[in-house]
Amino acid sequence: MTMALKTSVDARLRVALLAPDPLRRQALRDVLLNAGYTVVDIEDPADVILADGDCAAGDNRPTVMLGTGDRQAAGLLPRHAGADQIDAALRAVAVGLTVRPPAVNEPGFDDLDEADAHELLTPRELEVLSAIMDGLTNKLIARQLAISLHTVKFHVESVFRKLGVRTRAEAVATVLESNHFKMFRL
Amino acid sequence: MIDRANILLQFSNALIERSAAANSAIAAVRLREGRHITGTLWRRDTVITSEQSLPDGEEFELVTASGFSVNAKTTGRDPGTNLAVLKLERPLAAGNEFSSAAPRVGALALAFGADAGGNATVHMGVINALGPEWHSSHGGRIEQRVELDIDLARREEGGPVFDASGGFLGMSTFGPRRRVLVIPAATVERVVPILLKSGRISRGWLGVALRPVAVPEGLGEGQSSGLMIMSLNEGGPAATAGLVAGDIVLSVDGVSARRMRNITARLGADSIGRTIDLRFIRGGVVTSRQATITERPHP
Repeated sequence: MTMALKTSVDARLRVALLAPDPLRRQALRDVLLNAGYTVVDIEDPADVILADGDCAAGDNRPTVMLGTGDRQAAGLLPRHAGADQIDAALRAVAVGLTVRPPAVNEPGFDDLDEADAHELLTPRELEVLSAIMDGLTNKLIARQLAISLHTVKFHVESVFRKLGVRTRAEAVATVLESNHFKMFRL
Repeated sequence: MIDRANILLQFSNALIERSAAANSAIAAVRLREGRHITGTLWRRDTVITSEQSLPDGEEFELVTASGFSVNAKTTGRDPGTNLAVLKLERPLAAGNEFSSAAPRVGALALAFGADAGGNATVHMGVINALGPEWHSSHGGRIEQRVELDIDLARREEGGPVFDASGGFLGMSTFGPRRRVLVIPAATVERVVPILLKSGRISRGWLGVALRPVAVPEGLGEGQSSGLMIMSLNEGGPAATAGLVAGDIVLSVDGVSARRMRNITARLGADSIGRTIDLRFIRGGVVTSRQATITERPHP
């Protein structure tokens, strides 16, 4: 009984999500909602901030950063951290702990890491992937993109094959954990 | 009985000598909560250290081997080459004039760090792998890829790495999975004077966020991948040139945008002010526009 109560209190943690890359934002949002967090706007009161990449929140609220970021943040996770790690880090940071990845996962100083051309998605496939992550059915995707159901199925198959996944949940995980979906600022 | 031909002992003594000498080449850069990283005493009033491990901040306390404590100001940092430069409030009595050494695979390497009291700590290994000039994920150019088979503690990053003749190979840096890389002497010599003068390394800027995408069949004039524009900075070079989100860039000045690094390599400091030709797909048609590169705004 006490356990259940504790969980429900934790689950109401408000997380402000800062992620400039729309695809990763979508995947992270999915992870947060699945783990029972309330996702709020960065301007709103939040218990924890989850920031992806080099975007510093610039405030004093406890922050978990994914990938390279401010080393003074309470929580640092590698860019390809999984849903379990993100969940654990948010809870730890919210109660005042510091989270650091083991040395083997530290990003460090490195050259550009680029996906191979055959793993890249086409713009249309990216749209379909984004719709899949929103939880849309094939029928709804067809309506949203104004294409036939047959074409949607064709694209979904191609996306799953390129990502090497079989389910929507696996696709979300892959967006977070692989190198395919990097956005570069030039 | 003394074995005069004891090569191991000679070797050991040589290492002891080198380590003692390294005391004048390192300093502990003190951070919060009793932590520190290592700085390399580049000149009697200048320390270089690892940019990625140096927190934001104007002023740091340095401790040298003689127990001398001195404040130093951050005068420049360049994430692109992982170099940060600290200027000492009061110059030390003596400075270093490193002679740089050319790295060779298999060559002995001594990587020095500093303990909390500013005394040298040492690791010995070899240069494990060498590669050509490379570009970091932050867009900096590094003259040569140098990897060591040495493990360093976190506090030892940013110290000098010397070869067997005492030549300066460069500054130690953690790569991915804490693999130890060397920022070569040539890069340090090129970048540090600029950081001392202007505080940063300027880079060219297009004002776009790009994502690598596969080009739909038959559209890319034979090119299978390109860079799709996800967003543009208002008033930035690409926006001014008339590019919009959704355009797929195929080439920049004739150089294929198939690899991101091909493009970042063209946005060095010398690119600022240059007009470039951007070739891209919009609505299924290949078009081109001219954009003038400006300097990347600094935060």
